[in-house]
Amino acid sequence: MLLWVGCALAQDTTLKGIVTDAQSGNPLVSATVQLKNGKDFVLTNEKGEFTWPKAPKLPFTLLVSSVGFETKEVVVNSLAFNAIVLKESVTSLSEVVVSSGYTIQNRNEFSGAVSSVAAKQLQNRPAVSFDQLLNGQAAGIDLIQPTNILNATPVLRIRGINTITSGLFPLVVVDGVTVFVGAIGGGIGNNPLADINPNDIETIDVLKDASAAAIYGSRAANGVMVITTKKGRKGKPKVSYDNWVSRSTPYNMPKMLGAEEYTMIKNEAMVNSGRAPGYALMKNGDGSTVDTDWYDVAFRPGISHNHNISVSGANDATSYFFSTGYTHQNSFIKNNTFERLAARLNFSHELNKSITFGANITYSNGTNIGPNTGAVPSNSMSSSAYNSQYITNEPLARMTYVLPPNVPVYRSDGSYSIQNGISVGYGANNPSTIGTINAYNLAMVQTLDLSSSENNTLIGNVYGEWKILKNLKFRTSYGLNNLQVTNKAFLNPTHGGGAASNGAATNNFTKFYRSDWVNTLLYSTSINEKHNITVLLGHEAIKTTTDGWGAQQTNVTDPSYSNFQGGFSNIAPSGNILMENALLSYFSNITYDYKKKYLLSLNFRRDGLSALATGNKYGNFGGGSVGWNIFEEDFYKNSGLARVINNLKIRGSYGVVGNSEIGDYPAIGTYNSNTYGGMPTLAFSQAANPNLRWETSKKLDIGLNFSMFNDRLTFEFDYYNNEVDGLILKAPQALSAGIPGNVINANVGSLYNRGIELGISAIVTNYRDFRWNTGFNLSTLKNEVTSLVSDVYVPSVFGVQNMTRVGYSIGSIFAVPTVGVNPDNGLMVFVNSEGREVQYNHIGSPRWTYKDGTAAPAIDNLKDGVIQGPSLPRLFGGLNNSFSYKNFDLNLIFNFVAGNKLYNGTRATNSDQRYFNNGTFILSRWQKPGDVTEIQKLQYGDNVSAGFSFAATSKVENGSYLKLRNISLGYNIPVQKSNLLRGRVASARVYAQAANVFTITKYRGSDPEVSINGNSIHSGKDQNVPPNAQVLSVGLNVGF
Amino acid sequence: MKSKILIFSLATVCLTACNDGFLNTVPKTTVAEEAAYSTPAKILAQVNNLYGQLQNATFYGGRYIIFNEQRGDEFGQNDGNAATGSAVWNQNVASTNEFINNVWGAAYSAINASNVLMERLNGTTVVSVADAKLYVAEAKFVRALSYLALVQTYAKPYNVDKNALGVPLRLKAITTEGNNDLARSSVADVYAQIIKDLNEAEVDLPASYTTPLLNTARAKKSTAIALKTRVYLQQNEFQKVVEEAAKLVSKTAPFQYTTGSLTHRLETNIAAIFGGSYTGSEAIFSIPFANTTTETPPSQSSLAFTYVSQPILFLATGGIVSDPALTNVADARTGLIGTNSAGQKVLRKFNITTAPFRDYVPVIRYAEVMLNYAEAAAQTNDLSMAAALLKAVRNRSNPNHIFAETELTSKTTLLNLIFNERRIELLGEGFRLHDLQRRGLTLPAKTGSIGTAPLVLPTASNYIWPIPSGEISANKLMVPNP
Repeated sequence: MLLWVGCALAQDTTLKGIVTDAQSGNPLVSATVQLKNGKDFVLTNEKGEFTWPKAPKLPFTLLVSSVGFETKEVVVNSLAFNAIVLKESVTSLSEVVVSSGYTIQNRNEFSGAVSSVAAKQLQNRPAVSFDQLLNGQAAGIDLIQPTNILNATPVLRIRGINTITSGLFPLVVVDGVTVFVGAIGGGIGNNPLADINPNDIETIDVLKDASAAAIYGSRAANGVMVITTKKGRKGKPKVSYDNWVSRSTPYNMPKMLGAEEYTMIKNEAMVNSGRAPGYALMKNGDGSTVDTDWYDVAFRPGISHNHNISVSGANDATSYFFSTGYTHQNSFIKNNTFERLAARLNFSHELNKSITFGANITYSNGTNIGPNTGAVPSNSMSSSAYNSQYITNEPLARMTYVLPPNVPVYRSDGSYSIQNGISVGYGANNPSTIGTINAYNLAMVQTLDLSSSENNTLIGNVYGEWKILKNLKFRTSYGLNNLQVTNKAFLNPTHGGGAASNGAATNNFTKFYRSDWVNTLLYSTSINEKHNITVLLGHEAIKTTTDGWGAQQTNVTDPSYSNFQGGFSNIAPSGNILMENALLSYFSNITYDYKKKYLLSLNFRRDGLSALATGNKYGNFGGGSVGWNIFEEDFYKNSGLARVINNLKIRGSYGVVGNSEIGDYPAIGTYNSNTYGGMPTLAFSQAANPNLRWETSKKLDIGLNFSMFNDRLTFEFDYYNNEVDGLILKAPQALSAGIPGNVINANVGSLYNRGIELGISAIVTNYRDFRWNTGFNLSTLKNEVTSLVSDVYVPSVFGVQNMTRVGYSIGSIFAVPTVGVNPDNGLMVFVNSEGREVQYNHIGSPRWTYKDGTAAPAIDNLKDGVIQGPSLPRLFGGLNNSFSYKNFDLNLIFNFVAGNKLYNGTRATNSDQRYFNNGTFILSRWQKPGDVTEIQKLQYGDNVSAGFSFAATSKVENGSYLKLRNISLGYNIPVQKSNLLRGRVASARVYAQAANVFTITKYRGSDPEVSINGNSIHSGKDQNVPPNAQVLSVGLNVGF
Repeated sequence: MKSKILIFSLATVCLTACNDGFLNTVPKTTVAEEAAYSTPAKILAQVNNLYGQLQNATFYGGRYIIFNEQRGDEFGQNDGNAATGSAVWNQNVASTNEFINNVWGAAYSAINASNVLMERLNGTTVVSVADAKLYVAEAKFVRALSYLALVQTYAKPYNVDKNALGVPLRLKAITTEGNNDLARSSVADVYAQIIKDLNEAEVDLPASYTTPLLNTARAKKSTAIALKTRVYLQQNEFQKVVEEAAKLVSKTAPFQYTTGSLTHRLETNIAAIFGGSYTGSEAIFSIPFANTTTETPPSQSSLAFTYVSQPILFLATGGIVSDPALTNVADARTGLIGTNSAGQKVLRKFNITTAPFRDYVPVIRYAEVMLNYAEAAAQTNDLSMAAALLKAVRNRSNPNHIFAETELTSKTTLLNLIFNERRIELLGEGFRLHDLQRRGLTLPAKTGSIGTAPLVLPTASNYIWPIPSGEISANKLMVPNP
């Protein structure tokens, strides 16, 4: 809020004044005070004061503006005038502009469905990348931050999942450049979106419906995020410094057994299985019992800090924004460190009245180093990933769950306690009876086996604009994204994953390079100030290349080497890739409005994609929308309703978009080269489908916007229905057909996503110094696969937890029904596809019996499994509250999710009756006939009963939750009252905040916000994920 | 102004025109399907690929052999991790198990590669008719070996029920969608096809190649014949076994087969089979890992890693390791048995215990042919031939061993000696399971450090593997195993 106080009135024509922020009372530095119909302007000084030496003849109108505040028109009738209280600066319908990436429109004149996220909603919150912060920030955006290992790519969905095997990341466009998305760090986190400094972002416009997104044609199926970075504003250079320091700790870890309970439980299982006890407690030198908490080995509080400096400004001809940021983050996982240095320069220059040019360029260098956590799926850029990492021996999180607590970390001489290359030291346990403990000494591998992933990224564009005629503008923009990734991994030769190959060092370098040349011609005119027309014609050529190479060295020649460049006796190629993709497009956008009342927008785009076969390369996409600003109608203005509802718009849109994330060569038949016996081979590697054509996604949106009580309450409502047809699917082929990969890309499926979205923002109170703003958003989603040739799922020795099947939500949670433990004998009872109860006895012969003891066929995950519910939430949203009182501000961000199922595989791991440690819940096991419990009789080696070897409903849980994501308390230092600061500092704010404060849920795992498979259709699975973090931070924002 | 617009329009037109080749991207790391059969070298590479399909780590490259041993009774399981096949050892695998899917998929991938090659060679002018004939014969061998693995793993043993459901017989090239549905042929039909392929292959295959590596790594006449002795033995067609084996085994000692420069006979020292060049006289067909950067299997698919490095499997005391032949140092085969730090006996045939695991995997060796012959000879009452062959195998490793004459003159005891010798000689090479199953025997219970795996009756559903879920989901004519 602006408080504009004309205070001084000097002689003759000099106008003086001060501009302040009504909320804090602080002066606003570098606010622009401009004549409404002229070019002249002055800026406020560091005290918020301005002086206009030769004011024009009274009366005149001034425009007063400042970044982050609403521009205000002030009619000056006298050189001496009183304070004017300005209207609240909230996200109101009328003032916000919407960027499609190609054009900018006032929200009022816009008839599509867009969610906008402003810089304010992201700033000051500790994170590696901006997308991690979007949870609960806008309707229709479903975000899961599945783990807090550094720089893990979050799951990001806009209006559900619109594909089964194609890319499902939204399109992300930064200042007109389509940037890379995905997970590219190999075994550790690397989200390319982290190369964009969150502090540089001005707004994020999320285009959800066809009208808004259709201009992106074939790339719009998953929605589009248009990011606009900050630009310089007219006035004195604005300098700001921001920092934060944070401390992160693991939150809500599963409670595991201590050494005594562990030894007792494992021995009980052995005895129940007719074997002699093999587990024993071990004593330390001082006589105490060895009781290792492997969480303490893996985790410690991680301290991070972040610094950002920006300088911006503009004069008549030139504007600039420069920033540099440095972040150094330590995870709560020991030895996991992320460091990024980023710089940005945005500038534009008006050469003359008809020619403008400029550039927006950012360079960033980020490196993530850490142990293998198993939490991130292997490399995937825009594809439906399936994580097979989490269950292997290397990942840290699994080790914290399975390692026995009754063995020591170190021997008495201080060396790591290890049994051999793959087993942690057995302590007092008997190796010859308990079997192989195929778990490493976590401390040793977490120290020695580190991976790193480094990005060197240039994202930028240069552009020129030529005003050919008064109403006709030509713009050309050449953008590029050069993302160079170096992934390194080392496994020591002594113990762990490297023991089998006597040490292994793998280096990979991959260059992802995209050039994006856009030419547009924009004609805009207004006829009689009634008919407003804009016509955009455009041409775009995008080329993407992926060029990667690398090798793995094994068999270290001397144990001292820990780098790829050291001495090794074997080398093998690794991570070689060379791909190319081109997209050539022609597009047009026409908008028309009549007196701002009736809005019409039409989009058309013709895309040619190199990935499709000749004859099928081109696809036509497009959409249209209509809107009616009812409040602009005279009849409405004159009605009583106008006094209550001051802004009212209805709108509708329909359009067709596509999905181009189908790989680079999906349509052709190929043969791969390898060797056999050293001789060259050529193997059928992909079956052709020359008929492969564009899939189409038909998006319908009907929306309503209104605001009440003078914009104090604004509502936005949308109904959407998105039907995808001719889905490009890696269609499963019968294995016996012998087709490479058992898939052929084909247009075979269809699905829909539909639901409603509601956004409300309100100024609850604005009484004197106390203000309370609320923002609420809610989205519903019904996803259903309506046709497919056959089920889509991933067979695994660990069962099938996600099933994509006709008539159900994509990637639904799938499991064999369990009816619990038979109180008579303690055996777990399942229900097979014939509806008969079958019990499992791990040491029985036969193992599977009906309750009468006769042999039963083994439970089969596919045959006996039943869909349990969607893995996608049926309902989700957020609630943001901000309070301010005088110089204090308090912000709370909640988000909630409901209606989805989760597979609690971590609990299955923690129920396993091999050497694995167990959760404390195991203590309520069945012990004697008559016991009624959900934990079966313990039998040594049993990894079947508890849902580890196949999916069982005993591990299917409700995924609903409400989470307080963030709470922050800030204090604006009244710099004007400080002798020390006044004149030196324009504004200063200090704050403290906490992230991931609490979660209300019935889910029994660590955190219901989870997805071991990352951004994938195989969602809702929790297994061996490291816990999420709770982060406390303090920070400072200073403006000069 | 008009001129400006004109310039702009021209620029746009040019932009478009200049972009003609823009969308025609071509992969540079693969060969296009159209070009894959365009030169003799490419076709030869396609032939090599057929064996490359067998070399798949999930198949004869290692894992298939290991699975067969895990289902037998010679080994105890040390590692409870499902990824090491603990459920396979536990005789408790479901259709959704990836191993069930992978072995089936690998075999059919080899079959389709064979079918595609045969179809593409039909009428080709790129290679000579003579070469095409050789290559087709090799494809038939690969197809036969793959079908044998399938029918032995996913269908009832021939001798238990030859009219039971076998596997789908895919004999035509498949390169496009729409070919998912095909019903299972009977076990007998699958065996008939295997024999037909091998008979045809025998006619057209070369007698030998130019190098020992090629003689070991590619199929030749003797390879097809040797495989037939195995197939007929599965069917209790003992007379046929004798007929085929006699082609490879001389009537009298020293038993050998010679054609041109190629000689097959027992190595003097059994250890020579599993080391050195891997291409000696006993190797009839092996999976070579000559290029250690691209061919060697990952650890859990490697025989050496499985039997020695970790070891995932140790020699169960209830198994053949307790036989005097493997405890008496006079027998050279005790040199292939070791003891690990946990005091377990382990199989040391495959001894390169650090990656890359480049020990060749023997698929067919001369000793097997001799033992196949011996068993068939005994069954057909040629006891003296059977005894001579048995003694040759035994005395190679223990020259001083003398079988009691009374045992050699009774068919029953002689057969038992031969069965026993197979267990000793072929231990860990993937034979035990099928030797039990072709005789309709129960898979015995066994003890590992992860617990006890119960016995499996021939009538039990887990006597054979389930049809994989990936087949059931996509092939509408597929009938699952009960």
